[in-house]
Amino acid sequence: MHFRLNPLTQRKLQRFRSIKRGFWSFLILSILLLAAAAGELLINSRALVVKYQGHYYFPTYTAFHPGTVFGENYSYESNYRQLKVRFARERQGNWVLMPPVPFNPIENDFPPGIFPPTRPSLAEWHYLGTDTTGRDVLARLFYGFRIAMVFSLLFMALVYLIGVTVGCAMGYFGGTFDLLAQRVVEIWSNIPFLYIVIIIASILTPNLGVLLAVVVLFSWTGMTYYMRTVTYREKARDYVAAAQVLGASTSRIIFQHILPNSLSTIVTFIPFTLASATTLLTALDFLGFGLPPPTPSWGELLHQGTSNLQAPWIVTSTFLALVFVLSLATFIGEAIREAFDPKKFTIYK
Amino acid sequence: MRLNPIFVCVPLIFAFVNGCTKTAPKEVRDVSVEARAYYKAHADFFVEASPADLPKDLNWEDGHEQPEFASPEAKRGGTLRFYIDDFPRTLRFVGPDANGSFRGFILDNVALTLIQKQPNTAQYFPGLAKEWALGSDGRTMYFRLDPEARYSDGVPVKAGDYFFAFFFYRSTYINDPWSNIFYSENFTRIIKYDDYTIAITWKEAKPDVYDKLGSSMPVPEHFYKELGPDFPQRYQWQIEPTTGPYTVLPDDIHKGSSIEVSRIKNWWANDKRFYRYRFNYDRMHFDVIRDPNKALEAFKRGDLDIFGPIIPDTWYNKIPDDDPTIRQGYIHKATFYNEIPVPNYGLYLNQKMPLLNNSDIRIGIAYAANFDLVDQTFFRGDYTRMQTSADGYAEVPFPNIHARPFSIERALESFAKAGFVNRGPDGILVDVKGQRLALTVTTGYERFRDVLTILKQEAAKAGLELNIEILDATTADKKMQEKQHQIAFTGYNIPPEKYPRYRDFFHSANSKPQTNNLTMTADAEMDKLIEQYDRTSSMDEIRRLATAIEIRIYEDAAFIPAFKAPFYRHAYWRWIRWPKDFNVRLSDYAWTYGLDWIDESLKKETAEARSSGKTYPPAIEVYDKWKPKTGIPIQAAP
Repeated sequence: MHFRLNPLTQRKLQRFRSIKRGFWSFLILSILLLAAAAGELLINSRALVVKYQGHYYFPTYTAFHPGTVFGENYSYESNYRQLKVRFARERQGNWVLMPPVPFNPIENDFPPGIFPPTRPSLAEWHYLGTDTTGRDVLARLFYGFRIAMVFSLLFMALVYLIGVTVGCAMGYFGGTFDLLAQRVVEIWSNIPFLYIVIIIASILTPNLGVLLAVVVLFSWTGMTYYMRTVTYREKARDYVAAAQVLGASTSRIIFQHILPNSLSTIVTFIPFTLASATTLLTALDFLGFGLPPPTPSWGELLHQGTSNLQAPWIVTSTFLALVFVLSLATFIGEAIREAFDPKKFTIYK
Repeated sequence: MRLNPIFVCVPLIFAFVNGCTKTAPKEVRDVSVEARAYYKAHADFFVEASPADLPKDLNWEDGHEQPEFASPEAKRGGTLRFYIDDFPRTLRFVGPDANGSFRGFILDNVALTLIQKQPNTAQYFPGLAKEWALGSDGRTMYFRLDPEARYSDGVPVKAGDYFFAFFFYRSTYINDPWSNIFYSENFTRIIKYDDYTIAITWKEAKPDVYDKLGSSMPVPEHFYKELGPDFPQRYQWQIEPTTGPYTVLPDDIHKGSSIEVSRIKNWWANDKRFYRYRFNYDRMHFDVIRDPNKALEAFKRGDLDIFGPIIPDTWYNKIPDDDPTIRQGYIHKATFYNEIPVPNYGLYLNQKMPLLNNSDIRIGIAYAANFDLVDQTFFRGDYTRMQTSADGYAEVPFPNIHARPFSIERALESFAKAGFVNRGPDGILVDVKGQRLALTVTTGYERFRDVLTILKQEAAKAGLELNIEILDATTADKKMQEKQHQIAFTGYNIPPEKYPRYRDFFHSANSKPQTNNLTMTADAEMDKLIEQYDRTSSMDEIRRLATAIEIRIYEDAAFIPAFKAPFYRHAYWRWIRWPKDFNVRLSDYAWTYGLDWIDESLKKETAEARSSGKTYPPAIEVYDKWKPKTGIPIQAAP
């Protein structure tokens, strides 16, 4: 199916681009997402390039290289930071190129004689300090962001898939089906979602999939109300009647005619859904009902930070990161809402 | 106006239910008739004899040779302000919810038993009995009760209350299966010679029969006259008359917010040896503060007098030595080395699980568990490695058994024997069938989350993947009790007994769900050793067999010892005073033996100093009188 933007949509996008705050937020968030996708190249304990005895190694995405490969006396994963120091000292033409932040989010770095958490230090490469077990705060923030975004995007996709489908069906078919489905939705949305998550998290340690499934299971209902209303409205329009007269099938009418015309409703919700999913995951992790340790997560960092106020770099950096990302999402959301506002383009007589 | 039917219905339903429940007035019960009938029905257990029947050759002891352990400088009076993290769910001593931590302040630490253990020498001094003797069978003890002993309501303590105790604890009314079993299965007889002479018999002769029989407490029959099936509700907030110095007055129970214990006026043991200079506060006030961080702030502000026990993280980070209150000398910090059995924290490897049924893999895991690093980092070098499954028994030491140290080479060697030779692309070992060496550690300890992340990182160096599963404490316990875990990271609080218990943890009879044999050890040789151990009555034999059992546990490597703290730490305002040595060897908390007191003049002086800005030299004390003298080196195991 070829999907061409109609002039109306093009005008909406143009208007979005003209709202500077939202547009720039959108650009920054996109760049952050791209950076997160290639995170291993930026923040990682594995070197980008190692030159050793004339050979080049690119360990980032390959299988692990035991220390013995580079002349160390251990068989576990090479410590590239130490390797870099050794090569520099030996001056034999070997070298290591490390990523800008040379730590992965789950390794414990215990400098001798100091107890974590350690304060931010350029010399130690811990730009935002370390947490209570000596893990790099920046690395954990960054990978925590990536997991939160993956979670939020999957959450959004699934919630919209279910919500839009059910909502459309309710609006389009109406009658008894609508009546029954609405009651089901009402009952379903009254189940105390947080308790369910807490119960599930306490009897099994949820991984991303399980957590996502549980959260989606109780979050799709909100979308149905909007879609039901929109579909009711669209269904009454002449073009739908025309399609019906022409003999179009139900699925064709829903997917080809009604859905594209209700897209603007969905689109305006996207940034806010992302923000709320991020907040939700953070809150669950904060309470200890989220992803299992040692998964990097903002909630876990916030929890550590609030119970270790003597190490203010943990809570400050996490709080600022959270505020920053949520602000970006909100700015984008506002801009989209304004750009897609039908009042700009409809004249009521 | 038309009434909505629902509003009409509700009062009707209430009226109906009330009518049904309020039919008969409450019956007046007197359980003593039932108790007498019970004694008669169990005449071989409850024996009434005459003083003439008392054996003549008894060697009566009265503990007069024991030294006192309280400070003669102690002054009585004042109110101690302290906190509890949750309001006690009942003030009963038995029955549902009665095993809360608050009962230490109203029962375990303060109420008197027949004889009491001198907490430095581990010998005995008089409690409710002024003299005692061990019978020739080695399992019967004779006690002459102190005629001065009184309950807090003034009623004297008599032999009949010990009879009643057995009736009471065996009764189904109290809804306490543990007590029912304990008092039915372990004691075989109680004899009453007269109102102040009794004898109690344990089921078998054991070296610690003094502890087992001497720790018996009377139950005041006159208080439990109304004992019946409604015991848990009827006695929920009634406090049993105590033989000890403290009780709770009804006006001092403020449910959910605070509770106060008060010293009994003219307590009967007030000026007796071993009791003078102790239990010094007139009142102890407990506020409910649910968050320990908040409690610490309240303490630092001066709203609480004592804070502790303190874990290393709080000790170094939240009340550090350079904290203003410490630096100005207002708050003192104390580390006290005690000598009591420590909780058996460790990894319990479930031998019924695949991979873990192979002893080479278990030994490999023991070498790959870097508790040494945990002790040095997470516990800041304060905690030391637990060496056996039962550290801390002064009379049953294991000087030559040491936990396996962290060693990547030895771990790899051991894993190789089990067929795990090559590392996969992520560095985790795989066998020829492609199976990864990955196992899950289950725990209910949220507070030890960081311990497990350190273990996980370090184990990966030895090619072992440890997945961490932190569950809610109850769920984790259930999973372990059902033996559904692969590796359990847990520990049990160990009662301060003379020698360890092995049957619970390592006998094949307990190699089934709902027991503490978390390693699912079922080993004929181990069973034989444990059975001998349980039978023997000689302390030398017990030491020899315990060592043999510990060696077996070491070789088996299904239990990997974790860490222990041979001390406790407290912080207190400078007006709280302690004996010269701070505390006693067998204490588990600073307040267990009631040795501290409040110096009101110092309190006033400190209040003035704080407002005028005057400071004192800081006091950060370490009391290491009972610290193990030789640091035990972590030795490379054979």
